[in-house]
Amino acid sequence: MSILEVKGLKKIYSTRFGGNKVAALKNVNFTVEQGEYVAIMGESGSGKTTLLNILAALDKPTNGNVILDGKDFSKIKDSATAAFRRDNLGFVFQDFNLLDTFTLEDNIYLPLVLAGKSYKEMNERLTPIAQRLGIANLLKKYPYEVSGGQKQRAAVARAIITNPKIILADEPTGALDSKATDELLRLFDEINRLGQTILMVTHSTKAASVANRVLFIKDGEIFHQLYRGDCTNEMLYQKISDTLTMIATGGDRI
Amino acid sequence: MKLGFYPKLALDGIRKNKKMYIPYILTCIGMVMMYYIIVFLSRCETVQHLHGSNAILLMMELGGWVIAAFSCVFLFYTNSFLIRRRKREFGLYNMLGMGKRHIGIILFWETFFIAAISLIIGLTAGIAFSKLAELGLVNILQGEISYNLYISFPTIYMTAAVFGVIFLLLFLNTLRQIRFSSAIALIRSENFGEKPPKANWLLCILGAAVLAVAYCLAVIIDNPLDALLMFFVAVIMVIGATYLLMIAGSVLICRILQKNKKYYYNSKHFVSLSSMVYRMKRNGAGLASICILATMVLVIVSSTTSLYFGSEDSLQSRYTREINIDACMGTIEQLSDEYLNPYRNAAIDIAKEYNTLISNVQDSRYADVAGLISGNEVICDENKLDGTFSYSDVRDFFFISLDDYNKITEENLTLAADEAFLLTYRCSYPYDTISFDDNKTFKIKNSEYGIVDGLGTPQVNLVASITVIVPDLEDAMSCFKLDDGSYDLVNFVWNFRFDTGLDEDGQISLGSTLDDKINDIFASSTTDYSMRYTLSSREAERADYFGLNAGFFYIGIMLNIVFIFAAVLIIYYKQISEGYEDQSRFEIMQKVGMTKKEIRKSINSQLLTVFFLPLLGAGLHLAFAFPMINKLLMLFNLYNVNLFVKTTVISFLIFALFYTLVYRITSNAYYNIVSKSKGK
Repeated sequence: MSILEVKGLKKIYSTRFGGNKVAALKNVNFTVEQGEYVAIMGESGSGKTTLLNILAALDKPTNGNVILDGKDFSKIKDSATAAFRRDNLGFVFQDFNLLDTFTLEDNIYLPLVLAGKSYKEMNERLTPIAQRLGIANLLKKYPYEVSGGQKQRAAVARAIITNPKIILADEPTGALDSKATDELLRLFDEINRLGQTILMVTHSTKAASVANRVLFIKDGEIFHQLYRGDCTNEMLYQKISDTLTMIATGGDRI
Repeated sequence: MKLGFYPKLALDGIRKNKKMYIPYILTCIGMVMMYYIIVFLSRCETVQHLHGSNAILLMMELGGWVIAAFSCVFLFYTNSFLIRRRKREFGLYNMLGMGKRHIGIILFWETFFIAAISLIIGLTAGIAFSKLAELGLVNILQGEISYNLYISFPTIYMTAAVFGVIFLLLFLNTLRQIRFSSAIALIRSENFGEKPPKANWLLCILGAAVLAVAYCLAVIIDNPLDALLMFFVAVIMVIGATYLLMIAGSVLICRILQKNKKYYYNSKHFVSLSSMVYRMKRNGAGLASICILATMVLVIVSSTTSLYFGSEDSLQSRYTREINIDACMGTIEQLSDEYLNPYRNAAIDIAKEYNTLISNVQDSRYADVAGLISGNEVICDENKLDGTFSYSDVRDFFFISLDDYNKITEENLTLAADEAFLLTYRCSYPYDTISFDDNKTFKIKNSEYGIVDGLGTPQVNLVASITVIVPDLEDAMSCFKLDDGSYDLVNFVWNFRFDTGLDEDGQISLGSTLDDKINDIFASSTTDYSMRYTLSSREAERADYFGLNAGFFYIGIMLNIVFIFAAVLIIYYKQISEGYEDQSRFEIMQKVGMTKKEIRKSINSQLLTVFFLPLLGAGLHLAFAFPMINKLLMLFNLYNVNLFVKTTVISFLIFALFYTLVYRITSNAYYNIVSKSKGK
């Protein structure tokens, strides 16, 4: 069953006085199945960020639909988008987006508090997650006291504590060193094995090579996609790099 | 004219940060203007000719120094906001290869331009408004108005010098901050990881204790003389406590609330509370400053306004009739009718010359002795005193004979030879007997609370008073007769006050005629009695009276303008700098699923708290200062508590209204900055 369905997505930006029109997304179609781990790759300016913003309900498409678990985004009222986002989507950002006025624990609780959950319930949910993510003894620390990798793990905890239908990750490894990157990708893999659907936008071939499926986006369109099939991470890595080289050298559709 | 490289860079810097610089320059202009006006008024010739101007001119001169000192402190404070925001830019310059020396040159030009703009515009505005201020002052003092515009060059030089020094100090201070930090530190200074504030119990308890003591002081003092000194002690304590409580106390309260999981993990409080901790840490000092400025403004406004509008009242209570003769005699014989009648007749005769009759006569004679009370003994002779004494044990005794008392009050009391009636005022007397200087003892037939109208001015007195009604005044006074036969301890007072029904000029003229006549009578008398007297006509005193109070009122308004200026600016900078700091936080909250409405609500509740805390504090301070200020106002003959309550409440309401307005305007500036982050 597909949990996310994107149909005929189009986004046109016009300059301030309506003069120049730039199409960030021309015609994007794809679906994500329940429990899938999808990476979206593309160069700067290919429309990745626009796509993610639309999927995150932070931006509205000019045309086309996004349907999450049977719910059409365009049918959601403006006033309800924030609550919808909170209840259905989990976010992991490149720059963590932790609030520096909160401890890690409180940062993780934030979406639950907004949803009006009791402290007891929040605490029950957090304990196993913190264990699994290896941040149980860091919970009382403030973001400025911990490393980037630890911050990102707290951000992951914040994303999954609401049991979202899908996790949207925007360059989650972008600000991490290689060790922390490996660690995070391992976590993503683990979470995914437990049944969590993940959609990750990334630049990094390495990050993408952990996914089940890789979509390539170029000039506002899905240009190509790779399935893992029986490939190991290394083999998928090789395939991805080949594809990227081909895109970069201006090759035509495979 | 083509500008050099550095001046151009400096001007660019100002232009690009105009959101920060325009209010700053406006403040500088405002300060220069107010300083010029006050100094101008203190040297103004038109004012110098007016009645009661001496006190005012002195106050103005003092006010000038107050403004200079305040400008210095305040401009330093606002300048620190500017530096904090610009450090990043300077760090970048530094990184791109510009030496600290060159940054110094840019800073110099910046300071120079700001100083030049402020002085030129400030002085121009000052000159323009000084005439207005002068007209206002002359009008309040009821003097002749002239419309010549007059520019005081010495004042201009003075202003330029004072503010030149202030700007130089500001420049050196900025230079010092730039010099001692590296390029990287400069660039990062704005988003340096901030440690979460810790609750400091000790400071909190200290603050609360100091405040409690200060409030107690303010409430329990019942003697205006002590009050004057205590007032300053209490003021300093309150200032200290306000800073302690606003800085440490607010953090502590937030922390305690955070410990309460049920309260804290609630969508209504979660975000606000945790941001509040930081906000309070950063803003504690600023909030305390606003609170104190607000209190100052309110105290000044309420007291000077009630002084001004109560001038007539205090004039009436000081001079109860149109013509007031207050004579102080050397001996008791001079209080006899035989001695006084020539003077009384003189008043009647002269009134006749003016074709009128004296009316509403207040004719009272009494003996006035000050004494230290302990138990049922009173010591009046200072030679018999040993050691120190407290003002609260001093009483003013008014002795009056029973006959005179019955005549004034139209009562019909009787006393035995060794008995006396007591009337106590602002004190009580619980004993059955009272003895003076171990010499004379009276049985007290009756003791009540009250005064005798026209008998001295116990309301104006700083100490409590007791009126002693005795069967025979001369006999009672015998105990105060010193060894040399004189009555140096005692003032034998004769008050003769009356209305004339004449117009102002008539009253004044009758007064001076009578004054001459009294002098003649006294000079032609054959006795070697001494007599000191004053004849005051109320109309002649009015100008002086109003002059003084109007001066207070006027300078109060001037200082208030400056203080309000300052408070508004602190608030504005607070909003702007917080807006920049909160921008990214806002964005994150939106991304994690907080609705715009929720964010706005949370921000609103924080801003409201931060804003109205100082107002609340000011209100509380004012309430506790009220009794003390009321007593201080008594020193200025103002006994109209109702008036003071009214002016206090009205000024508080107006101030609150104004404050809310400022809040609205500045919080818009805040929202503009924050919502610029991402409109989606």
